[in-house]
Amino acid sequence: MKDFKEYIFRIIITIGAVLSSILVLLVFFYILKESMPFFREVNFKEYFFSDSWKPLSSNPSYSFLPMIGASLYISFLAILIATPLSVGCGLFLSFNTNNKYSKIILSFIDMIAGIPSVIFGFLGLVLLVKFLEKNLDMVTGESVLAGALLLSVMLFPYIVTGCTETFVKGKNIYYAASQSLGVSKWYTMRRIILPFARKSIFVNMILALGRAIGETMAVMMVTGNSPIFPRLLGRAETIPSLIALEMGTATYKSLHYSSLYAAGLILIILVLIIQVIAYMINKTGMRRIR
Amino acid sequence: MKRNSIISIMLVLMLILAVGCTAEQAAPPEQESEQEQAELPEVPETPEVEEPIDEFNSQILFNGSSTLAPVIASISTNFIEGFVTWDKVDASFPEKNIAVYVSAGGSGQGVKSVIDKTSDFGMVARTVKDSEKEQLPELQEFLIGIDALTLGVNPNNPVLTVKDDLTKDEIVKIFSGEYKTWKDLDASLPDKEIIVVTRDIGGGAHEVFQSKIMGDVEVKADAIQAPSMGALVTKIIENEYAIGYASFGLVNQNLGKVATLKVDGIEATKENIIEGSYIIQRPLLAIINGELTEPQQAFIDYVMSEEGMKVVEEMGFVPAK
Repeated sequence: MKDFKEYIFRIIITIGAVLSSILVLLVFFYILKESMPFFREVNFKEYFFSDSWKPLSSNPSYSFLPMIGASLYISFLAILIATPLSVGCGLFLSFNTNNKYSKIILSFIDMIAGIPSVIFGFLGLVLLVKFLEKNLDMVTGESVLAGALLLSVMLFPYIVTGCTETFVKGKNIYYAASQSLGVSKWYTMRRIILPFARKSIFVNMILALGRAIGETMAVMMVTGNSPIFPRLLGRAETIPSLIALEMGTATYKSLHYSSLYAAGLILIILVLIIQVIAYMINKTGMRRIR
Repeated sequence: MKRNSIISIMLVLMLILAVGCTAEQAAPPEQESEQEQAELPEVPETPEVEEPIDEFNSQILFNGSSTLAPVIASISTNFIEGFVTWDKVDASFPEKNIAVYVSAGGSGQGVKSVIDKTSDFGMVARTVKDSEKEQLPELQEFLIGIDALTLGVNPNNPVLTVKDDLTKDEIVKIFSGEYKTWKDLDASLPDKEIIVVTRDIGGGAHEVFQSKIMGDVEVKADAIQAPSMGALVTKIIENEYAIGYASFGLVNQNLGKVATLKVDGIEATKENIIEGSYIIQRPLLAIINGELTEPQQAFIDYVMSEEGMKVVEEMGFVPAK
């Protein structure tokens, strides 16, 4: 009887595992299939080395380069802004408050992650874009900078949660020893905890990067969506914004339609590369700690 | 062990990718429509367009233009609240609750959903293209209203102190980026960048603007693309130096917050739009492929009735009747 139950349970979890992996493959496969007409029709040089996105012009040109550039630019900038703040916040939470408060604060930070991105986008449009217009003397505030600042706020909770976990782990291992040696708290944080958590911080940055590249709504609302090469105070359009904006209106089965699937494929590949890098680093990092 | 399994999963993925590339070329085209349906899981299974009366279908599905969607949604709410069940609409119908589902995804999506039968009606805020008509052999169009695009600027925009009229040529130069600052348009205006706001380039609104005004000239690449007409109008309301093609309906809903400019001396008024002298306009269509079922006919009759047309007008569009 017990064997039978276990057998049933085993079948159920196997089906679950197989189904979910098939689902991932199906999505991938479908996007690939839909983007095939584009890759067959359009020369490789054209979608990487031409400089403009004009899918509907009489002389169409399809270049993903401005969008890839904008996606990477905005995401990296957001990570650069968010990481120091998050690491500082994580150190504060694990060393400078008692456990009770840090748990409360952490749960509030986690709540930021639960706010729908369209709310962030709306706040960005109303507050951030206006702020940039006033303070940087821009005619209009939609820019790479606005997107990156907004995104950094959205990424903050992800990096904080990941880092704090490692900081606490490091504290449990080293803090008692360093205290008994009479080393100051700040020295411990700087010279022992930060090097200890270096890999973890990096991995969290990269995971957040994967999320940042895929973020659509909030970024779309504050970057102006102009398919041109990104400059810090200029407008830009990310790959997700491109897809979200144009997919609804692209003529069914046209080259424009499949080019958007191709953009999606490029996005997936970008994120996949990032995930693999994070995985590799995480693996070597963990081994060293042990 | 764990590492091995992850590597093997990635290998399988690569393999399937490779197989996918070759299999794709051999795949027969019939499969496409099947997979297409799988792409939109949120839309309930679509019934056959023609159905015998005994399998009475109480649902009507609309999909398409985000301009037309609120209008149809509002009319259908009145319809459902007014009649509740189908037998109140017509005594020959069974006593089933009326259900009209409206989802917005753009004009292209509207045509697409009719082609792949994920909805009964497509809402299209432009004329149906010839390439699309080829895929819809039994196309029927119902003109619900007309939407016009006005050239909207912020009421504080200094251009209003100089002129209230733009020639077609000036508009082309503004939108193509030949005039970079307002000063280029008129020497007395400030040397501030002209912020051009457009909808997405594939959208119905942009298409109308492109064909009626721009012709073969491209809109400049650094124009702001607003994700919806509402966002476009909001941008104009908030930015003094912005100009964009705001929908006639939305401008009427925001009277005083958006100022409009005449095009070639003709103002965007209801009369001029119906008469056709105001050129930047587009039809709002409901399309269907094949014959209407009786309940569908009943609903379309209601849309075209006085009550339906009143809603079209309240939403700020020009009713078809």
